[in-house]
Amino acid sequence: MKATAELEAEFDPATGRTVLRRLRSMAPLTLLPQRTAGDVALVHLVNSATAPLGGDELALHVRVGPGAHLRLSGVAATLALPGQRGGVSAMAVHAEVAADGRFEHLPEPTVVTARARHHALLTAELDTGASLRTREVLVLGRDGERPGDLTTAMHVTRGETAVLRQELTIGDALLDASPAYLAGRRVLGTEVLVGGDADTVAPASGQWWSLTPLPTGGGLATVLAEDAVTAERELAEAVRHAG
Amino acid sequence: MDSSVTGAGAVSLILADSRFPGGGHVHSGGLEEAVERGLIRDSADLRPFLAGRLRAAGELAAVFAAAAAHAAARGVTPRHWAVLDGELDARTPSAAQREASRAQGRGTARAAKAAWPSPVLRELLAETPRPHHPVILGAITGLSGGRPVDAASAAAYLAVSGPASAAVRLLGLDPLAVNGIVANLSHALDAVAARGAAVAGHDPRDLPAPGAPALDLLAEAHVRHHKEEVRLFAS
Repeated sequence: MKATAELEAEFDPATGRTVLRRLRSMAPLTLLPQRTAGDVALVHLVNSATAPLGGDELALHVRVGPGAHLRLSGVAATLALPGQRGGVSAMAVHAEVAADGRFEHLPEPTVVTARARHHALLTAELDTGASLRTREVLVLGRDGERPGDLTTAMHVTRGETAVLRQELTIGDALLDASPAYLAGRRVLGTEVLVGGDADTVAPASGQWWSLTPLPTGGGLATVLAEDAVTAERELAEAVRHAG
Repeated sequence: MDSSVTGAGAVSLILADSRFPGGGHVHSGGLEEAVERGLIRDSADLRPFLAGRLRAAGELAAVFAAAAAHAAARGVTPRHWAVLDGELDARTPSAAQREASRAQGRGTARAAKAAWPSPVLRELLAETPRPHHPVILGAITGLSGGRPVDAASAAAYLAVSGPASAAVRLLGLDPLAVNGIVANLSHALDAVAARGAAVAGHDPRDLPAPGAPALDLLAEAHVRHHKEEVRLFAS
């Protein structure tokens, strides 16, 4: 299945709120706007069919206008599944955030099931004063299951400056078990915070989590855990240190 | 340039030598923290640590060393060194690992100014006074006529040889057994160096960005503990 969904948020000076200028779902990517009391526009991303399946090419384009604030949340864990012909599935999120805009991307965990082959890509282009919060929680297989193969890449830029570039490959048993890579832990959680107060984070860490300042401002929270609940709790702990 | 004619291959041997005075000996590459946590107790535990470190941190270092060697050989604007350095920065989310890389880069630069003075080296250090270690290592290799694969090979080797010798010191492991583990990684080292060399001429923005979440956590925790208690290594 090939699908491209689009989402565009704009700040409305008349009401002081963010409005959704454009919202285009395409199966299996369904975008559901939610009512909120504040000035933020909240949208739920729902995978309406069993997706991503091997062979799927899914894309989501997000634009956040000057001064607008958009939060895109997941509602349930995503299961990356193998397709009938064993093809690769791909999900790409591309976000452009204009000056003083804010984009929060908070999907639920992705479970890499056995024999799945999945590529995840997130690119975020930030303008001056724009801010970003994006979370990724990867679960290596369902209970008692070896994970399939996953590659995940994240590229965050602010103007011409590279803020963060990271790629990971999961599914090589020896690498996953290495104390230098995933240390045999089943869940990897990361959360990137860029712009605003997050541009001046101080380092903080525990046994299996850390919050570290990025070289050009912003911070990265990282957690390795045995289960998704612990990963999310420790990510929240790390992010709390960002103030 | 044909290094068999110029003898430039020797430069990467000097750079990869543990006696090279670049300050590499004070870094364990996360190994000391892994030992403190009981994650590594013997030679059998060391093998997967080094293999994982090579595929992640070693691969990243190899990519940027090769790119720097390529840049030095073809000639680039001074600005290019800052771009290359900045792109490696963006691929090193752990502040502790950035500091460890820059400390070794500074030490290498100090040694290089005495050993291989050149206008390009001066330009590089004017743009980035504390360059990342793979960038300065690659630049020196390229300026001396070495190939990108030579620089990548030295960087990949250093990513495992330092932690390997740290394991001997911290755990009292049999040096022959540890050397055997490193020797067993020869094919993996060559593969990492070849992959680095294959992308050496790419735009720095498009270079690979392999991460290593556990190494990042070990590096951050090491720095925190280093301030609270005595540690043998700086990283």
